[in-house]
Amino acid sequence: MAAPPHPMAAQKGARYERTKPIVLAIFLLPAAILLAVFMIYPVIYTLRLSIDRGLGGNFTRVVGLDNYINLLKDPTFIQAIVNNLLWIVFYTGFVIALGLVIAVVAMRVRYETIIKAIVFVPMAIAATALAVIWTFVYQPDPGIGLLNAVLGIFHGPAPSWLGDSSIVNAALITVGIWGSTGFATVILSAALKGIPTEILEAARTDGANDFQIFYRIIVPMVSLPISVLAVTLMVNVIKLFDIPYVMTHGGPGTASRVIAFQMYIQGFQAGQFGQAAAVAVVMLIIMVPIMVFNIRRFRTSSVT
Amino acid sequence: MNRSLRVLSLFMASALALAACSSGGATTAPSAAESAAASSAASEAPASAAAGATITVTSLWGGSEQEAFQKVLDAFKTATGITATYQAQRTDYATVLQSKITGGNPPDIAIMPGLGFLRQFARSGGIKKISDLGIDPASLTANYPPGILDTGMVDGELYGIMVKFNSKSTVWYRPDVFTKDNVSVPNTWDDFKKALDSLKTAGESTPLALGAKDSWTLTDWFEEIYLRQNGADAYKKLFSPDGDWTDPTVSATINAMKEVLNDTYVPGGIKGALGASFTDGIAQAFSASPKAVVYYEGGFVGGIATGQTNTALKPGETIDWFDFPTFANGAGTGAAEIGGDEIAALTTNPGVKEFIQYMTTADAGTVWAGTGAIISPVKAVDASAYPTDLAKKEAAQVAGATAVVYDGSDTLPAASPDMGAMLQNAIQGQDLTGLLKTFNDGVKAAWAGEK
Repeated sequence: MAAPPHPMAAQKGARYERTKPIVLAIFLLPAAILLAVFMIYPVIYTLRLSIDRGLGGNFTRVVGLDNYINLLKDPTFIQAIVNNLLWIVFYTGFVIALGLVIAVVAMRVRYETIIKAIVFVPMAIAATALAVIWTFVYQPDPGIGLLNAVLGIFHGPAPSWLGDSSIVNAALITVGIWGSTGFATVILSAALKGIPTEILEAARTDGANDFQIFYRIIVPMVSLPISVLAVTLMVNVIKLFDIPYVMTHGGPGTASRVIAFQMYIQGFQAGQFGQAAAVAVVMLIIMVPIMVFNIRRFRTSSVT
Repeated sequence: MNRSLRVLSLFMASALALAACSSGGATTAPSAAESAAASSAASEAPASAAAGATITVTSLWGGSEQEAFQKVLDAFKTATGITATYQAQRTDYATVLQSKITGGNPPDIAIMPGLGFLRQFARSGGIKKISDLGIDPASLTANYPPGILDTGMVDGELYGIMVKFNSKSTVWYRPDVFTKDNVSVPNTWDDFKKALDSLKTAGESTPLALGAKDSWTLTDWFEEIYLRQNGADAYKKLFSPDGDWTDPTVSATINAMKEVLNDTYVPGGIKGALGASFTDGIAQAFSASPKAVVYYEGGFVGGIATGQTNTALKPGETIDWFDFPTFANGAGTGAAEIGGDEIAALTTNPGVKEFIQYMTTADAGTVWAGTGAIISPVKAVDASAYPTDLAKKEAAQVAGATAVVYDGSDTLPAASPDMGAMLQNAIQGQDLTGLLKTFNDGVKAAWAGEK
């Protein structure tokens, strides 16, 4: 005769086995309804709208894939995608790199909190206000623009930061980096605190120098927070709208347009909501691989 | 009990009447119930059929422009007993209006900039025909100079009526500097270029202000030159479905723009100008420490320059304007370009008809013109109604023009590619042939899409 099962085991088994489908349904329903109403339905609606003329936001005439073909033929849209790629690479890269460096360096000094507070302050400013402030900073006239006033002291050139197609994207990305570095610093700083000091001490005893510790120990040990951060930043940047809208309105010409800005122009300025929906679908398609990577990453790390 | 029931039923009746009004706003035809509600509500009012009603009027003015328009609303209330409330929508005007229409909750009346929006809303059924309000369009023609009412026509029906405009054929300058540097006011394009050179020689290193970050300043430059070079008929054709943007006249106009809009004359060069807004451009020419002498933009520059940029300016002495220069053999000599706003009804609620009718009268035009904020298109508004010499001169310029055309970029379909962005690219020296071909394709598709 087998021994009676351990009471704890019975309890544990019961928790999974005896849950009736109806109970499951009741618990899942609220979340499922919310998801269906606010996620699934809008996605289906947008997909449907993207194959329609969609004038004024109504279904006016089915046009098949015309909206998508128009997008591919539109040099402005291609430029917007390229600009978004620039944002993804440089914004995400610099925010994480700067955030990590500041977090590591700040940890080693006594006034860590002060440094982190200073870096974090831009996070407390609304993105639109941030953009307005930087528009003033970038004013070409040194009488108004802080940056050119400072350059003027060193008799440097006075570039038109937002009026020069070749530097406008760099100028805007800098604003984005300035606004988000604090976020990365705080997250990574918390992750660094989680690294057991024994490991660092062991490495030091084994004769590792600061750079080796940074590259061989710190970076690998915070790689999960870094990848989470990267995904968050990338998703933020794919839907980026406020900074180019406020600072340049996508200009000069079409030099600083981004995908979300194109969506706004097509939908709300031109009234072509079908075309705008197609842009939204393209944005979704770009985001999917990033999200899939994120979910995979979480699954693997929860196993190990 | 009995009494409270009566109160309740009264309340419900009025709620029903309200519901009738609001649903009438969302559909195209005015309902019978609604007019019945209107007449019964107004049965005791002496002044007007809709006295006591309240309507909302939306437009994009704020600040001094809003105060000026409020005077017109006050005069309307005195005349008819109808209260008109103003709702300012400073930014994303068309976006918000579109959302309100789509959401079935439009304001009663919108005063909209740009004929592209008027057409878009007219065709999507968002706005009512003037005839739907019970106003006979034919009865209005005598109130306006020729061509003004045409701007509000969509597919042969009158949807909007122009209520104010500004000349766009005005080149602003500083007369004191012209005198000091011994430069005379230019009449022709060649004289204009010579004047800029003379100013430069006299020590004004960057004589021509430009705020090209607001790309509509460039579309105005384009329109003025195209009009002067090719005449009103060619101009109207270009901004119609038959327009051909790959035509050599278009690149000729852009090349003429580049003769003056370049690093030689413009403060900070073209790159600097592309980083400067419209009001920065005004400041370049008219602030207390100016960097330029001449600034081209519409008649509204005067009010902003003297009212906000630099209150020490004296019209005629330190600020004035001359007619946009003409071109040799140009077909458009003596023509004027205007930019104006159109009033349109979004509902047929009581008071809407009265307000639109009032706005076509000399009374409304005179009150509004008297604020100095606008030029009125109503013929019967006397020149003496304008408070300043600058405004009188502006009204006279348009009244005396051989032909009056409407701001072209505001006439293009809303779905057109951004004309201002195209011109921003053009003055940076991008290849014109490619730019214009892409633009032409986009405009053609947008016109076709409006059908």
